[in-house]
Amino acid sequence: MADTLRLTVPGKPEYVRTVRLAISSLAGCAGFDVEAVEDIKVAVSEACSNIVCHGIKGQNAAYEVSCEMLDDRIVIRVVDQAGGYDTEKYREPEAGALREGGLGIFIIKALMDEVNILSEVGQGTQIQMTKYSRE
Amino acid sequence: MALTIDCRMIEGEGCWEIKLAGEVDIASAAKFRAALTESYDSRPADVRLDASELCYIDSTGLGVIIGAYGRMQANSHSIRIENPRANVEKLLHITSLDKIFCS
Repeated sequence: MADTLRLTVPGKPEYVRTVRLAISSLAGCAGFDVEAVEDIKVAVSEACSNIVCHGIKGQNAAYEVSCEMLDDRIVIRVVDQAGGYDTEKYREPEAGALREGGLGIFIIKALMDEVNILSEVGQGTQIQMTKYSRE
Repeated sequence: MALTIDCRMIEGEGCWEIKLAGEVDIASAAKFRAALTESYDSRPADVRLDASELCYIDSTGLGVIIGAYGRMQANSHSIRIENPRANVEKLLHITSLDKIFCS
């Protein structure tokens, strides 16, 4: 069975760094190269920042991050119970159209090998992202 | 790594040089936005962002640069990102922001 690291993270900006350092450290130990570790680091941060910015409200609100280490890949899930959103309404930023927001999901999809976003309105959102090792 | 920001006006060139060191993320983006806005508002001019010691930036930090650029464009001022590290350069490339800020 694969080893899985699980974190419960307070929904505050100052903890996003802790999550990306923990996950990138794990990826580095698992043998991912420097560039892949950087990709994973940014993708995890984007997923967490998305929740802290748009989702989670309230003093005691928290979200879950899990990181599953498999032989050929790392699978990271970032899950909140912040009410969800209609994924059909998400539009990727158009090239050349500058927007201050909306880049996060675009960046995650560009950096990771597989990305699945499951969101249920009234419930929450799960972003699952996978990076394969290159050996 | 905490973010440090050093803003100085290069009088000879009439532009701002803003040196970023450390990490710009959701926790430090507000500090970056404030420094950029304060400098620019005190004396509107082109801005050079020295990214040689910037170890990490994500969409929250890029959003600050995009927002500032939008305001500066109205005055025909530009913003340039100089000497980005490989990881920062990659992010600028995949978002196509390199075409605007690094060319």
